Parts: sequence; C-alpha cells; structure tokens
Amino acid sequence: MHRKRGPDIVHRWEGNPIITIDDLSFMCGDICNAGAVKVGKEYILLLSIQSLEGFYSIYPAHSVDGHYFQVNDQPLLAPSQRGPFAIYEELGVLDPRISLLEGEYYIFYDAYGLHGYLLGLARTRDFTSVERLGLVSEPDTKAGALFPRRIKGKYARLERPWAGSSIWISFSDDLEYWGWSEVIMTPRAGFWDSDRIGVATPPLEIKQGWLLIYYGIKQTSSGPLIRLGAAVLDTENPQNVVGRTNVPILSPRVEYERIGDVTNLVFSCGAIIEPNGEVRIYYGAANSCICLGTTGIEKIVEAYMESEKEF
Amino acid sequence: MRKRIGRDVFHRWEGNPTLTLEDIPFRCNTVFNGTPAKLADEYVLLLRVEGQQGYSFFALARGRDGFHFQVEDRPVLLPAKGDVFGIYEARGIEDPRATFINDSWYVMYTATSNYGSRIALAKTDDFHHFERIALISEPGNKDGVLFPEKINDQYVRLDRPIGLNVGSIWISYSNDLQSWGHSKVLISPRKGYWDSYRVGASAPPIKTEQGWLEIYHGVKMTVSGPVYRVGTVLLDLKDPSLVISRCNVPLLSPREDYERIGDVNNVVFACGALVEPDGEVKLYYGAADTYLCVATARLGEIIKYSLNEKKDR
Repeated sequence: MHRKRGPDIVHRWEGNPIITIDDLSFMCGDICNAGAVKVGKEYILLLSIQSLEGFYSIYPAHSVDGHYFQVNDQPLLAPSQRGPFAIYEELGVLDPRISLLEGEYYIFYDAYGLHGYLLGLARTRDFTSVERLGLVSEPDTKAGALFPRRIKGKYARLERPWAGSSIWISFSDDLEYWGWSEVIMTPRAGFWDSDRIGVATPPLEIKQGWLLIYYGIKQTSSGPLIRLGAAVLDTENPQNVVGRTNVPILSPRVEYERIGDVTNLVFSCGAIIEPNGEVRIYYGAANSCICLGTTGIEKIVEAYMESEKEF
Repeated sequence: MRKRIGRDVFHRWEGNPTLTLEDIPFRCNTVFNGTPAKLADEYVLLLRVEGQQGYSFFALARGRDGFHFQVEDRPVLLPAKGDVFGIYEARGIEDPRATFINDSWYVMYTATSNYGSRIALAKTDDFHHFERIALISEPGNKDGVLFPEKINDQYVRLDRPIGLNVGSIWISYSNDLQSWGHSKVLISPRKGYWDSYRVGASAPPIKTEQGWLEIYHGVKMTVSGPVYRVGTVLLDLKDPSLVISRCNVPLLSPREDYERIGDVNNVVFACGALVEPDGEVKLYYGAADTYLCVATARLGEIIKYSLNEKKDR
C-alpha cells in the first residue's frame, strides 16, 4: 500500500497563515519574519513589520496556544532616532532572534542603515521594555543568533557575513568584543542551498548537539528560491557540524509561500521545542505573513542521518 | 611669472622604482605593497611579493638610507599550512602594515581564501620570526592598520569592510587584540571626488600635534577601470572616531609610467610611512601592483593640505 508522506519534513498547520496584515490594528507594508520564544505557558513572537514608508520595526505578538496571536499596536524595537545607533538603523531593525541566556532574553537583530547591515544586540526580561546593548559586528553581517549558554567559558554566536555567503561562528568574553571567528557551513554547489546560506533559528540544545535550522538559497532565472534546512552542531565544539540535511525540511509550495512581496520564500527566525519533542517552527512566507510548521526532533535527526547515505 | 609647484604634494624619489622584479633574488611575479620600519641602524621593508603561482607572501628588504634596499634571499613569511590560519591564508597573505607598540612590531595583513579576505595579526621583533596572534576580523574585511599606542586604555584599529557595496574606513576597539567591537564608520567615499568609489586605510596612523594623520587610499572608477590615489585625514588624538579634517585632494596620483603600466594599471597604494626627525615623511607605496616606490613630503606640508577640507568649496 502506498504510504502518504506529505511534501516536506515539516508539516504546515492547517490554519496557516497564522498572522497576516488583516490581524493588525494598523496599516503596514508587509510582515516578514518572526523570532519565537515560550515564556511559561505563553508563546511570544517578535515580528518584523515593514511600515508603508518602507522601514522595518519589531512588534511583539502574544498567544496562549501558539496558534492564535494578538499583535501589539506599538513596536518593541523601532529604528533609533538619535544617539550612536541612529545612523546604523536608519532603514530599519528586523529579523529578531531570541535566546534565553542566564535568565534574560537576548535579541539579535539586523540593524539596517546606509552603511550596511550590522548585528544589533538587545536584552529584555518582559518583552515590554528593551535595552540596546550595542552593535556588535562589522558590516555587512546579518542573521545573528546567540547560543543560550556559554561554551567553554565563552559566549558564542552564529552569523552570516556577506562575503562568502556562509554561516560563521564567533566568540566573546563579554558580549561586547567578538573574535575567534570561523566558518562552519558553506553553500553546496548544485544543491538547493547552492548560492547563500544563513542562520534561521537560534541554536537549541538537543541530545545530539545544537539543533540549527538554516535557510538556503538557490538562484533561478525568475529569482531566488528560499528554503529551510537543518543541521546539528557539536555540543562542546559547535564549530564542528555533526549532521546537515541534504534536502530542505521546508520548501515554498503553497500559495501563501509562493505569492507575496518576495515570491517563493520560507524563512524562519525562531523555533520552539515542546516537552514532547515537537519542534514548532514559526516562519515567514513570501515576506507577507507568518505561518506555523511542526516536525519532530527525531525526524530531523533521521533526515540528516539519511543524508550520510548515498541511497 | 608662473610659479612651478610640481605635480603632487609628495615628491617621487628620482631613483624610483626602488624595487622591481630584478631586485628579487628568487623568481616571482611582482613586488609591490610594502610596510617600512626603522630599526636601530637600518631601514627594513616588509614586502608583498606575488609568486608566479599567483598567491602572495612576504619578503624582507634592508637598507641604510631608506631609499636603496637589498632584498633577502628567502621569504620571511609564507601562507600558513594547517591550523586555523592555514584555512584562511590558503590563497595568500597580502598588504602588511607594521606598527610598533608594546616594544614589539605588530603586523596587520590580509589573509585570503575562498571564504573571503580577513585581517590577521602577527607579532615580530626582528622581521624574521613571526608569531601569528589571531584572525581578527570577519570575512570581507581588509586594510587593517593598528594605532601605535593604546587610546583610552584600548587598542584601536582602522579597517575596510564593505557595507551595501560601499567600501568605507571603519574604526574598531579591543582590550586584548583578539576580540574586537564598537565598530563605527569613519569616512566614506565622496560623490564626485577622486575618492568617490572606495576608500581604505593605507599607512598605520601617525601621531602629530594636529591629530592622528591617516594616509589612506581613495579610488575613483573610470570606464577603463579604477584609479588608486593617496589621500589624508586627521583624526582626534583622544577620540580617533572623530574626523578633524579630510584633505580635498590626493597627495599622490599615478602619473609616471611605472605607476600607470603594470599588472594593475593606475595604482599608487601605500602600506606605511616613516617620519624622520627633521620632519621629512617617507611614503612607501606599491605602483601598478608591480613595483615598490618611495616618495617624500614635509610633514608640515601634509598637515597643511589635510586641513584644507572646507577651503576649496
């Protein structure tokens, strides 16, 4: 008998998309990507929302079940208007990635200004007020994600510098000065992730190591195809990749992923692992709405184990 | 009567080019960007030599007067093999800049590989034995120069990352020379000017009474390719992220045959300068990515030009 497997390792929730511009109390350009975290029993998303003028800010959304969200009217983080951050955030703040570290929530975001992209780092306890800690990269670096604990005594982050289109890791003693940068994953010629890759979700600790969902881009004659894959990094030496899926775990297939301001795009900034091992991936679709996909840790592990084989 | 003032503020040494392929005791492609140091009784130049294979490494030249140099028989620093440096130096090491600090020479250079260019830092006392300290930038960054003293108790560098396709000079800070932060943009290309396409640090900053003198390179794009010139900017002594003044005009432009004709046409590119006790500045520069040259100017004259930022407009 033929067994139905579904098109992707990640299953779309039947109520997708979970947040569209119709769910907002204000007009906007579009809704892109969301960072995600579970605080107690509450699910919190941080959304990148583009104003009608074209600038990005970060808005919180809350939910008790992880499916139905209320989006705040006011941003948690908007482009800084004065002071040292202003010239580096002139075009927006976007793509927040949340990590719980030493009892506080740290948010890596892309600071977008006329001089390029920098990684911004901010901290919050309650998602109602936020403190900017600093801009902590050189340009053009984006897609930063903090590890949720120190590794061998140092803070660690993943990031995507522009040159080389690869995922790098950097370390710090104080979250302020960063160094010891090394490349850990590069695009693979011919594969679905042949042109550019970057961190999607902050690393989550599982038995096998650090689970990382990343985005991979393949260029086509009608533009890029942006998909999600998964990798696991070694627990104590995260510069070593333990496993990486040969195939995407989620590809744009349905209308809300194919049609929007940026076509053929699924992109995530946050995933949550439930106590039962379910992985909930909050992902942006076509730069226009937020969706939910679910899978299991064991399915991802199985996928990269399969990738080792030649068939 | 018309007064003759010369073509550029920097005067070319009449013996230029100082070093060419003919002066290298081993077979190679070219010798160009070099950084100078004045040791006890001699001048040395740490030179970028491009081998015939196509990747670059460093050789050493020594001389008594700062103009005539002898190149040693063997290279002094080759791209690393193995370890983390081996990965990022796989396509060569380029453009050294030497700074004297903490009683040693620290050399920032560009490590190149398939992963992009990065700034590396090595330490030496004699320009023969080098200790690699760290790879200190992210990829896509080059032209790192270290300030010759700590400022507000921190090490400071200038560098040249690319943001949104624009090559600006940035400034970064460190407590340990390993991890760096607080990066800020310092100067960007100026529309319409000789430095409208890209700018980058060239010589390690020189301390003067009027501020830190940074001799930088500015690039203008033309239909036949880029033109590289030498310019200056003065930075605040206590807070070098503040620009005091930036020279409107280049102080040296490619004009001679040896600057216009070579592997890369129309390039003058400095990696270091020395200030003599009498105020003469010796600028060591690569010409057309093919020769190593020297030019001189009075420090006072350079400062005067550097302060002309607003006068011309």
